Amino acid sequence: MSNEQQYTFSKEELAEIEKIKAKYPDKKPPVMPVLWMAQEKFGHVEPEVQRLVAETLDLPEAHVYGVATFYTQYYKEKMGKYVLDVCTCLSCQICGGYDILHYLEEKLGIKAGETTEDGKFSIQSVECLGACGYAPMMQITNDVYCNHLTKEKVDTILDDLKKDKLPEFEQIPFPQHQNESSKS
Amino acid sequence: MPEIFIDDKRYEFEGSPVLLQFLLDVGLDHPFFCYHPSLSIPANCRQCYVEVGTPVPNRETGDYELDENGERVIRFFPKLMPACKMEASDGMVVKTHRSSELVKRGHKDVLEFILMNHPLDCPICDQAGECPLQIQTYKYGPEGSRFEHKKVHKPKRIKLGPRVILDAERCINCTRCVRFTEEISQTHQLAIISRGDKNYPATAPGREFDDPYSLNTVDICPVGALTSSDFRFKARVWEMNQTPSIDVTNGKGANIDIWTRDNLVMRITPRFNPNVNDYWMPDFGRDDYRRMNENRISRPEVKVDDTRIKSSWHNAVLTFNEYLSGVNNKEILGIGSAFSSVEDNYALNKLLNRIGVSELVFTPNIEEGSGDGFLISDDKYPNTNGCRLLGLKEMNPAGLNKAISAASVKVVVMMEDDLVGRSVVTAEDLKDKKVIYFGSNNNETSKLADLVVPITCSAEHTASYVNVDGRIQRTIPAKETLYTNRKLNLEMSVGRLDRYATKYDNWSSDDNRIDCVPAWEFIENAAEQSGQPFNFADARDVFEDLSKSIDAFSGITYERMDDELGVVIAGSEKQKVTSA
Amino acid sequence: MSTDWKSFQPLLIPKIPNLHKIDVYEKNGGYKTLKDILTSKDHTPESVTNTVKAANLRGRGGAGFNAGLKWSFMPKPDGGPRYIAANGDESEPGTFKDRQIFEYNPHQFIEGSIIAGYAMDITAVYVYIRGEYRSWINMFQKAVDDAYAKGYLGKNICNSGFDLDMYVHSGAGAYICGEESSLMESLEGKRGYPRVKPPFPAQKGLWGRPTTINNIETLANVPLIMKNGSEWYTSIGAKTHPGPVLYGISGHVNKPGVYEYPTGMLISDLINEVCGGMRGGKKVKAVIPGGSSTPPLRGDQLDGVRMDADSLREAGSMMGTAGMVIMDEDTDMVDVLWRISHFYHHESCGQCTPCRDGTGFLEKTLIKIKNGEGETRDLDLLLDLCTQIEGRTICALADAAAWPVRYTITRFREDFEKRVKKSAFALA
Repeated sequence: MSNEQQYTFSKEELAEIEKIKAKYPDKKPPVMPVLWMAQEKFGHVEPEVQRLVAETLDLPEAHVYGVATFYTQYYKEKMGKYVLDVCTCLSCQICGGYDILHYLEEKLGIKAGETTEDGKFSIQSVECLGACGYAPMMQITNDVYCNHLTKEKVDTILDDLKKDKLPEFEQIPFPQHQNESSKS
Repeated sequence: MPEIFIDDKRYEFEGSPVLLQFLLDVGLDHPFFCYHPSLSIPANCRQCYVEVGTPVPNRETGDYELDENGERVIRFFPKLMPACKMEASDGMVVKTHRSSELVKRGHKDVLEFILMNHPLDCPICDQAGECPLQIQTYKYGPEGSRFEHKKVHKPKRIKLGPRVILDAERCINCTRCVRFTEEISQTHQLAIISRGDKNYPATAPGREFDDPYSLNTVDICPVGALTSSDFRFKARVWEMNQTPSIDVTNGKGANIDIWTRDNLVMRITPRFNPNVNDYWMPDFGRDDYRRMNENRISRPEVKVDDTRIKSSWHNAVLTFNEYLSGVNNKEILGIGSAFSSVEDNYALNKLLNRIGVSELVFTPNIEEGSGDGFLISDDKYPNTNGCRLLGLKEMNPAGLNKAISAASVKVVVMMEDDLVGRSVVTAEDLKDKKVIYFGSNNNETSKLADLVVPITCSAEHTASYVNVDGRIQRTIPAKETLYTNRKLNLEMSVGRLDRYATKYDNWSSDDNRIDCVPAWEFIENAAEQSGQPFNFADARDVFEDLSKSIDAFSGITYERMDDELGVVIAGSEKQKVTSA
Repeated sequence: MSTDWKSFQPLLIPKIPNLHKIDVYEKNGGYKTLKDILTSKDHTPESVTNTVKAANLRGRGGAGFNAGLKWSFMPKPDGGPRYIAANGDESEPGTFKDRQIFEYNPHQFIEGSIIAGYAMDITAVYVYIRGEYRSWINMFQKAVDDAYAKGYLGKNICNSGFDLDMYVHSGAGAYICGEESSLMESLEGKRGYPRVKPPFPAQKGLWGRPTTINNIETLANVPLIMKNGSEWYTSIGAKTHPGPVLYGISGHVNKPGVYEYPTGMLISDLINEVCGGMRGGKKVKAVIPGGSSTPPLRGDQLDGVRMDADSLREAGSMMGTAGMVIMDEDTDMVDVLWRISHFYHHESCGQCTPCRDGTGFLEKTLIKIKNGEGETRDLDLLLDLCTQIEGRTICALADAAAWPVRYTITRFREDFEKRVKKSAFALA
């Protein structure tokens, strides 16, 4: 058994949780935002973290467990430092999402659902991420989207991530704004 | 009265009953899994489909619209509707599988899906024989499966807690167990985890399902997903007899069924009584079967020169009378018991009164604060109120100790109550006194007695008990003694094995029949031996006698207890059980 | 139907640089409509609802229900809390439009929400955004903070005495939470299990109180309607399904992306004119018009089919979210259908039997066909399973899972026939 004390919220975080609670008229709703907070801090929501959330919010542990396991973005076990969520759903599928996934698998020597031995990368094949027009694409650790992926782009992203450099948010211009401006 | 038409037959109803419940109440079998009358209704199993239509009201006349034939125009819902989520309304038209091919198909379709991922392990499943999925598959299911793929695999043989085992592959996600821990026991220990066809109920990681009511989830599980770790693999349902009875492990008197096979109690399950325990009972009450089977006193025992020997019943009766007549009646102390029935306490009291001994004394076994306000009472004995209503003298433990230890007391007659084990009295207190003990199980007190009269336990006799709320309820014998016979006693249930077994079959024996009689019967024998019989032939006679002589019991009969699910004795009515 | 779509200027995401900044939004007339409504005597909650109703603003989240009519279902205020849950979960494959609003024009949505809040006497708006949209949640939260700072949210908005709070709630990866009752369950901190209706959200929604759920894009339309009137609005696009709409176009076109045009656009125009035609000049094989749950249309049957509810119904599909997936002639419909089925199997919440187990049955059968092990009877089995699933569950996810199967097989049967062996026996 690992030490339960290793998972705690700081004073500031508890104050933040109080603010979250104030948004809702009931004591259950903060469970999702607080699970998010916990995952941000600890990198996962393993059972002990779920317990911390339950205790902090005075909710039944089983309830928190049920919620945490319902939503796929919560990591119920430790993941790599960078989780590469490759969209393979519909638009990405027909635009080469699986090629990107397999390229990543080959490059990192792991299969989707696995983590590299050095704990740096996990790969997941995920459902539609809502970037269908910018396929193929992936999301890094529930955060930034990398669109219009090519093997070269994947290489660059991986090289950067190895140096702990996260890709920046890519603003994709609204096409109608662009067209007009190019005309004028 | 509002009316409803089910398969072209007219029924009347009151209020706004749940349609599914109404179907069941009027005796129309209908398949369902997730619905439970005492739980919220999630409508998730989708098994109880019906076609439902309502008449179309005419806004102007207030009457219903009629078609050209003068028949009511019925507007049907475009889809199959789950009957558990519909409320009966006036003029409603319902088609079940009896009159609708669509409904029939709907029932079959859902069963095909449920069975898709359900293991075909009925032959080794405890639920088989009393399994709603099994029964409904026979009645409404598809003839075969078109599913030719791998089933979803999930954890098996998970010890959810000390008493409940989960086979997640058998689970059909009806969520009854989760709703039970949320709505009834309110421990919130279970939740459905994961998503889609990977769903199953679980406790939080590392936590035990130690809810004091956990075994109720096993009862309501409509498949064999939740089983009792104690009862697992012990007996097949169809091998057992089921006998209605009363839980005597605490003052609530939950209604139970006692399940026996070859006169051994195999398990105890709760029996529905809306006024006492609804569909539920505490886990520890189910463990009481051990008391009924094990450590029993069989055949009377007497102490001769400090040695305990087994004795004949004839000798026991003679010894009993000898002890009582050998001393002055002021030197006899009669002790009643809140653990024993109304009948037994009454009979002993009556006998002792006749020889000039004053009322029995007794001390209740109440542990303040140990109850939960639901089905576990502070009172650990089933009949404290019965003793009070009989007019027995209530004492606190210290008072009773003083009464027993008094030097003037030479003979102590005790109805079953382990006063030594309860630390009310000590062996020292009983030294130099003749102790007569009526009991069904060996214990600290019976060990010290000079005469031990083996009596029937609550699974072997007909007897009544008054619970903490003043409700008198009775037991029916479930287990034969050496002197009872289920084929002759018309109240006892006769199961398949009893009916067809002979002594030469390996599933039937006399091994588990205890050599004991009801306490009142021994008392009757003693009275008869002394030449003044009470003429009690059965428990009914005893009860009739006491209901005539004691006002509190006036007008109460076994029939009323049966018909009215127990009778609240006037003046002792307290709160009803609430499941909220 | 206006033919001048080429001259159409975007209204939901107008071409104004930095419009996401509140100052810029205000400078361009933003929040004026709101102030006007809150302070002028000409407006009452009823009049606002009626205007929106008359504009026939049809929900942009998929069902296409008249938003104003939906608002009118709210019971009379009783002094207790009442809510709007704004649905920004967009998880339907092929849909990526609401994030454009968060990114480019969040204040128009906020303004629309406040107007809707006024119309229904709402106390708080919960904006539910899918958890994957972390970047957009942050952008939008900034916009909400700015609106609070400027007094458009909070107590006594624009000195009108009207109070309204807006809270952003992040999902965490569950398609089902885009279903309105599941969204409410999720907001309440539970597993996203859809609720049985009735009671409808307007009677018993969030925390048992009256609630209206509207899509983000729907609410972003509201300031336009209130500013320009319902007549102006109904003159845009298709008669029975008016207004501007965000078309999210993906797949094998040259210029995929989100485009704002009036409803009722010809699908062929969208592909050939707006998106610059098919990649590599290939032929169109299939078009999914409104997200993965809407039945696919054959590429050779697109003539005259327009993107509005009526035209699509006639063509045998639905408008859905207007998230269009365009597939070229090289696309293997067996693979596509398997991937769609995999999605619904993965996303079924597991509550109702027909969906929980049925979606798995569909997917497993499609895998068998995909692997070349299927038989013709498996195709009939799939269609039969659809009948067993459709309309048999609490929410519409099961329908959404069944429709693509039914219509992909019936409309592209040749693709499937090629992959299966002939059955020796017919389906039992």
